[in-house]
Amino acid sequence: MEAEIKEKIVSMEKPHMEAPPDWQPVIMGILCNWCSYAGSDLTGTSRIQYPPNIRIIRVPCSSRVDPWFIIKSLQTIADGVLISGCHPGDCHYISGNYYARRRFLVTKKLLNFVGFHENRVQFSWVSAAEGAKFAKVVTKVTEDIRKLGPLHLYKKENS
Amino acid sequence: MDYTKQIQDIAGRLFSEGKIDIFIGYRNTGFDENQVPVLIHQYKDVDQLLFTDKSVFNLANYLKYEHTRNKRVGLIVKGCDSRALNLMLTESQVKRENLYIIGIACEGVVNETGEKAQNCVECMMPDAVVYDELLGSATGKREYQVNADIRELDEKTLTDRVEYFEEIFENCIRCNACRHSCPLCYCAKCCIDQETATLFHGANTTSSAFHALMTWSLHLAGRCVDCRNCEKACPIHLPLHLLHKLNEKVIYENFQENLAGMTEGDRGAFYKYSLSDPDDFIL
Ligand code: SF4
Ligand code: SF4
Ligand code: SF4
Ligand code: SF4
Repeated sequence: MEAEIKEKIVSMEKPHMEAPPDWQPVIMGILCNWCSYAGSDLTGTSRIQYPPNIRIIRVPCSSRVDPWFIIKSLQTIADGVLISGCHPGDCHYISGNYYARRRFLVTKKLLNFVGFHENRVQFSWVSAAEGAKFAKVVTKVTEDIRKLGPLHLYKKENS
Repeated sequence: MDYTKQIQDIAGRLFSEGKIDIFIGYRNTGFDENQVPVLIHQYKDVDQLLFTDKSVFNLANYLKYEHTRNKRVGLIVKGCDSRALNLMLTESQVKRENLYIIGIACEGVVNETGEKAQNCVECMMPDAVVYDELLGSATGKREYQVNADIRELDEKTLTDRVEYFEEIFENCIRCNACRHSCPLCYCAKCCIDQETATLFHGANTTSSAFHALMTWSLHLAGRCVDCRNCEKACPIHLPLHLLHKLNEKVIYENFQENLAGMTEGDRGAFYKYSLSDPDDFIL
């Protein structure tokens, strides 16, 4: 019990804040048009179940994702963000995902540095043929965020 | 480090030969020991100019404004300033043929308390890398070292860091001086302003400060030259270098890239990639 509390204090953003009983995490999913969005479509057409917590935006390429999008998502509806693009080597625009990969790492580390748990922002490579993988990724991310609880950091005050 | 005489001579020569329209330098504030940037338009004002270890500001910043665009400009750059200038050249913000650059082989500038500033203690490249004329003797490149404040903060727990940064973002008054004083933040329409007007209703709230400063620092990741002009401009003296130095550390440790703007044509770490970049954080 004590170890659990200590773990909570070390790894939680706001350990004293409890989630309301009927709370459901909201995940912002930003998916690239050519692989991951098609992959998520396949998940649906193959009738594979995955948590309904994800809200999906389609972008032309994973390198279209300005770190700004991640920050805005976290400040508005999202408790966590999932960004997904083509596997290395598969990018429709040849190298977009390689550029994106560098940006993602820096964004993740900076957000962690200012106090966001590292699981709040996650990335995946999902191809158009990986419907089952997409379901698995969304399930994992949703469960990670559920464990962390609602995000209370820097939410916009007035809406 | 005192190049007052040399700089007055050079500026005087440039004006009398008709080579420049404007000279950007430093002058005394007139009421204390500190210096402020000055834009000189004619020969008779040249004796205002000076350069010592109190010449802290990055003059390359003035090249992004309308009144110096397409004019022939002379200016002074220290090591860090010259790298910012190099990036501006690479990003087509200024034309090299319009500039007359006095480079300084820098020995470091002082902070408000009169000690050598932190970025100068940790400076990796104090010599100007782009110049028409170099003052002082070049000492060359130095080793990268992790910023002292970053090392300290890295040891804190997540919860402590949340508290530490919440105070910083709470104190920001959203004056945008940091952004305006950065030579590499020249976008005519900044994306932050759109959101301040819509999402945050222009309010100077903690959340709007978080949004602005995080977006800003990530737009400078891989480009920031650690001149700390932003920090000097901040009326609240917020430690803005923490964000930039963390980005720099992550970029150095993972992509072995540092020192933005060393050569013209180098656009920084985010404009290149390697097939062997770390991939283990991706599901
Ligand atoms: S950071 Fe380096 S080049 Fe810039 S003022 Fe300090 S010592 Fe000079
Ligand atoms: S913060 Fe970003 S969008 Fe705004 S001026 Fe700087 S680089 Fe441009
Ligand atoms: S962000 Fe600050 S330290 Fe970095 S280049 Fe701009 S003004 Fe200089
Ligand atoms: S200069 Fe300081 S107070 Fe002004 S917006 Fe930047 S961080 Fe905030």
